[in-house]
Amino acid sequence: MSGHRVRAITRRLLQGFRRDRRTLALLFVAPIVILGLLGYLMRGSSSVPAVGIANEDSGPASAVVADVLRHSSHIETSDIDASEGDAKLRDGSLVAYVVFPQDFTQKVAAGTVSPEVHLEGSQPGEDSPVIQALQQAMTSLASQVAGRNVSFQPHINYLYGGSNYDTLDYFGAAFVGLVVFFLVFVITIVSFLNERSQGTLERLMASPLRRGEIVLGYMLGFTVLALVQAAEVLVFALAILKIQNHGNVLLIFGMEALMAIAAVNLGIFLSMFARSEFQAVQFIPLVVVPQMLLSGIIFPVSSEPTALQYLSNVLPLTYAVNGMRDIMVKGADLTWSALQLDAAVVAGFCVLLIVAGTATLRRRLG
Amino acid sequence: MHDSYAVNVDDVSKSFGAFKALNGVTLRVRQGEIYGLLGPNGAGKTTLIRLICGLLEAHPGTVTVLGQRMPNVAVLRHIGYMTQQAALYPGLSVEENVAFFASINGAEDGVKEALELVQLYDRRASVVATLSGGMRQRCSLACALVHRPELLLLDEPTVGIDPQLRVQFWEYFRRMAAAGTTLIVSSHVMDEADRCQRLGLIQYGRLLAEGSPADIRVQGGSQNLEEAFLALARRRES
Repeated sequence: MSGHRVRAITRRLLQGFRRDRRTLALLFVAPIVILGLLGYLMRGSSSVPAVGIANEDSGPASAVVADVLRHSSHIETSDIDASEGDAKLRDGSLVAYVVFPQDFTQKVAAGTVSPEVHLEGSQPGEDSPVIQALQQAMTSLASQVAGRNVSFQPHINYLYGGSNYDTLDYFGAAFVGLVVFFLVFVITIVSFLNERSQGTLERLMASPLRRGEIVLGYMLGFTVLALVQAAEVLVFALAILKIQNHGNVLLIFGMEALMAIAAVNLGIFLSMFARSEFQAVQFIPLVVVPQMLLSGIIFPVSSEPTALQYLSNVLPLTYAVNGMRDIMVKGADLTWSALQLDAAVVAGFCVLLIVAGTATLRRRLG
Repeated sequence: MHDSYAVNVDDVSKSFGAFKALNGVTLRVRQGEIYGLLGPNGAGKTTLIRLICGLLEAHPGTVTVLGQRMPNVAVLRHIGYMTQQAALYPGLSVEENVAFFASINGAEDGVKEALELVQLYDRRASVVATLSGGMRQRCSLACALVHRPELLLLDEPTVGIDPQLRVQFWEYFRRMAAAGTTLIVSSHVMDEADRCQRLGLIQYGRLLAEGSPADIRVQGGSQNLEEAFLALARRRES
């Protein structure tokens, strides 16, 4: 073992990094950006879920509870009519609504607090502030009827999902699409870069091939692979993992296919900005991590700080994840305007990337 | 339709940032001739070849190939380009590589002939990644000529191959030229220069001299091409 030779290797390594500014930036800037984003996401939140209150009871007990809910910092309330509640859950303007039935005060006097809680239910993260606010209200009510034993028995209804859903059912819908998106992205960016580094791209450019033909040919080739993968993932998720699905399997596959096409084109486009496979691989955390955090997979977009919501709303994956959940959890079909929007945004993103990839192809050759 | 020149490079310059790769180069290549671009590494040979096949655009100056101002996609189907590095798909077989380049040029029927020409027909099923360097060069040449181009651009085609194969390559080149193909061959090896009908000597992005090997010897005042080249380079510098 020669210390001199070991030092030579260490020095050689550091010398290389000195000239690779991009790798240095990734090494030192990326962790700060990612952790900063996570911190802002979790602590900077100013957005709270919108909850409707339908008070059909004229007694004092419901007034007390409603009042505590209105002043809760966990939720933002509005007064609604119980009959319009479900429609508001469906169109997304409410995350939950609470109904105090006519006999609410009467029942409290008898020792049972039983409000009706209606939750939208497609994203578990959105429910907890509502439950938290309700618990506060119950504590407050209990202190006012001190000395008596009051039992809290809310009737909880889920519009989607519900108590028979476990964590995998909620996240599975998003991950089925996500797995395909990221794997296809990685494979495309590396192999398109190969085309560049092994010199064959230069040959292609000196042939009668047009740029659009190269990009489209690539897209179709990888899409074939991606679709087989998407089908495999779907079968595994539904048949083996038994993730609950209320939608049409073909629609899920269609959404997966759109995500795969977007991933292929994102890979082609970003490969234009990498000079080596090493640099290409660096795009992975840059593309993967922010989208994982901001596309609503783990943290609901509606509970993000407002500034991050703007960012989430321009990420195509937000729409893709939304679409997958709409189909699998809510049972959406193509007549739903929400699903139409999701599919249109992802498809539009594909077109944008095809155009951008084609336009950048020649410029980056020289 | 075509004028008598297959390639017409007229007062062409090309810069990459502050670096001037080509500086006012003018040269003409006749149809059916083997034209040698000679010069040291970094002289601008590859840049000139890339300009001729339209991968780069001249500024200022014009490049006309087979009667069309470059860059022009329509002309590209008549051009074959063998890059300096044997640019092939390592995961495909010899035949699959050649067939791919044939099909993007719409010349699927030329595969067998091209493979026979470079004597790889028996090895057509071999995966390129398993081939020796010389075989890869041959495969690369087959890819460049499979569509029977009118103009063949060969960027240092004989670098890294053994003398026997080099002789073979030049034999192919002569046969193609005899059949009417125009060839532009870049090289920094002087002993290859004598095999060309005409030469362009390039250094520091400028054309030092042009003419047949005999002309160059006269211009440089030496029977030895290498010495003639050096003499011309010195004369230009002083």
